[in-house]
Amino acid sequence: MGTLNLEGVSFRYPGRGETVLDGVTLVIPAGGIFGLLGPNGAGKTTLISILAGQLRGATGGISAGDEPLEALRRRRPRSLGLVPQEYAFYPMLTCAENLRFFGAVQDLGGARLGERVAAAARFARIESVLARRAGRLSGGLKRRLNLAIGVLTEPEILLLDEPTVGVDPQSRAFLLESIRSLAGAERTIVYTSHYMEEVEAICDRVAIIDRGRVLVSGALSDVVRDGSGLEEIFMRLTHRSLRD
Amino acid sequence: MRRLLALWEKETLALSRDLLGLAVLFLMPAAFIVVMSLALSDAFKGGPTRRTEFAVMAADPKLADRLAGKLSGDGFRSAPAPADEAAARDGVRRGTPSLVLLVPRDFERALAAPLDGKSAPPELTLLADPALPPTQLLAFRQRVLGVTLSLRVSALMRRAGIAASADALDLKRAATLNVETIGGTARPSSVQQNVPAWLIFGMFFVVMPISSLFIVERREGTLARLVSQQVPFTMLLLGKVGPYFVVNLTQAALMLLAGRTLVPWFGGETLALPARWDLLAAVTACTSFAAIGWGLLVAVCSRTLEQATVIGGVGNILAAAVGGVMVPRFVMPEAMQKLSEASPMAWALDGFHAVILRQGGAADIAAPCAKLLALAAALFAAALWVHHRRRVLAPAQ
Repeated sequence: MGTLNLEGVSFRYPGRGETVLDGVTLVIPAGGIFGLLGPNGAGKTTLISILAGQLRGATGGISAGDEPLEALRRRRPRSLGLVPQEYAFYPMLTCAENLRFFGAVQDLGGARLGERVAAAARFARIESVLARRAGRLSGGLKRRLNLAIGVLTEPEILLLDEPTVGVDPQSRAFLLESIRSLAGAERTIVYTSHYMEEVEAICDRVAIIDRGRVLVSGALSDVVRDGSGLEEIFMRLTHRSLRD
Repeated sequence: MRRLLALWEKETLALSRDLLGLAVLFLMPAAFIVVMSLALSDAFKGGPTRRTEFAVMAADPKLADRLAGKLSGDGFRSAPAPADEAAARDGVRRGTPSLVLLVPRDFERALAAPLDGKSAPPELTLLADPALPPTQLLAFRQRVLGVTLSLRVSALMRRAGIAASADALDLKRAATLNVETIGGTARPSSVQQNVPAWLIFGMFFVVMPISSLFIVERREGTLARLVSQQVPFTMLLLGKVGPYFVVNLTQAALMLLAGRTLVPWFGGETLALPARWDLLAAVTACTSFAAIGWGLLVAVCSRTLEQATVIGGVGNILAAAVGGVMVPRFVMPEAMQKLSEASPMAWALDGFHAVILRQGGAADIAAPCAKLLALAAALFAAALWVHHRRRVLAPAQ
């Protein structure tokens, strides 16, 4: 797995006039955590969805190292993990059943599946609630289960779309610490959030996008070089007017 | 195969924890089978089944008694004659009795008039309760005409000097008529109509749990996550086919059991089982594929649970009403019977009747099964096409 390269990526939803992504060009190096920032409607989730293979029809190029991302996804489906904004699991199933299901549909089986379920549960510290129905968990535990499912296959590219929304400070601190521990030379993590302090705490590189365009991109230390905080730069670039 | 098995297991677990969905799939058709089999039991019997009271009013009490005696039987019971015509009309208006036959004073003389076309036939008046079923009225009318004809022929024979009793000219004695129902061990009964009908209705209701879970999957982002994990959309749909096929087969077994045990326990007839279980299984399987295909298309097309409930629920009720589930097709007017041929539930009912009622062979179920399978394939393809058209999720297939 090498650098994730986005070259002039544009996208518009069928039947809608507006362009959601307009020539997005980004270089997301392997290793570290890349923060993707933007106000509501900026195009962050759309970009994550395109990287995850959920949306098609985007123009431009996306490659992972030397090969197109699409080809990598086909060749090694488990190389990409997604932790979406929604609780993307089955509320009527227990945590263990959810983990086993999402492992099995990614072709994990037998002892390997058992090992990965245990490891992901341990990582997200949900071992004690494995037998509980997912829908009956607290918000923080749900977020941790969501994260556990995302790391089941030890993906090389991990896409985290606002993974800390709606949780208490303790759960947020735990989630951030866990995500930071996932970063490594062999893994690329793309992280979207509205919380600037989170991004400043765990990301090495950031990009701010608005109305489908990249406003600034680079190492966090370069973006905040003039001594301004990330939030101040964000507000300066995206303006203060309400978006929705 | 591991992925497909995982999808089947997930679907089964999810359904097993959906008590409302299970109630819709198993209790609703069983309740309909019992209630409708009992409610319509008389409607499926051959002759008059409810007791209808009638009275005969004539100037000559002996003649009135004689006619009342001849008209009694087969569900028609003689009641005391009202005091006068006004009382008779008032009684019939209230339904007690349901019928009053008014015999004119010169009735017996008119009976003996020659059958030359010039003489006026005896004139009778029948007062009828408007709430009386038309078939009952028709049956009594035929009864009156039959009795009148026998009286008239016997009067004419006496006039010609031939000794003849009116009893000897009773229509029932004219010939022995044996009615033989072809192809069945027993005549179609209410339970034989209602068990397959409401079983089919219940089978098509898999549309509700299929679409509700699918919409939850889409709304909660689970579907998107599965697509990002390179699970083909075709496989996601196939992941719903296996469990619901088993559900439909279980429904069939339980509803047949209800026809054998529950309905007789409540006082209804016992369902006569088919001789060819393999054909019954084939019809059930084809019906199941069509029902699941319908469920998948509704699931893919509906954006909300409310939409799925309306499209799936109303669609099923309409198909059932048109297809002869709620109202047997043989009581429908011809135009409605033609229209009913467009309902998949009618195709399924034809298949079940061919096996259960007519004890038919493979050739008898070939046409309905072929139609159901073609529909299932078309619905599955339509679900894939709608998904593809929306282009919201990338097809990984």
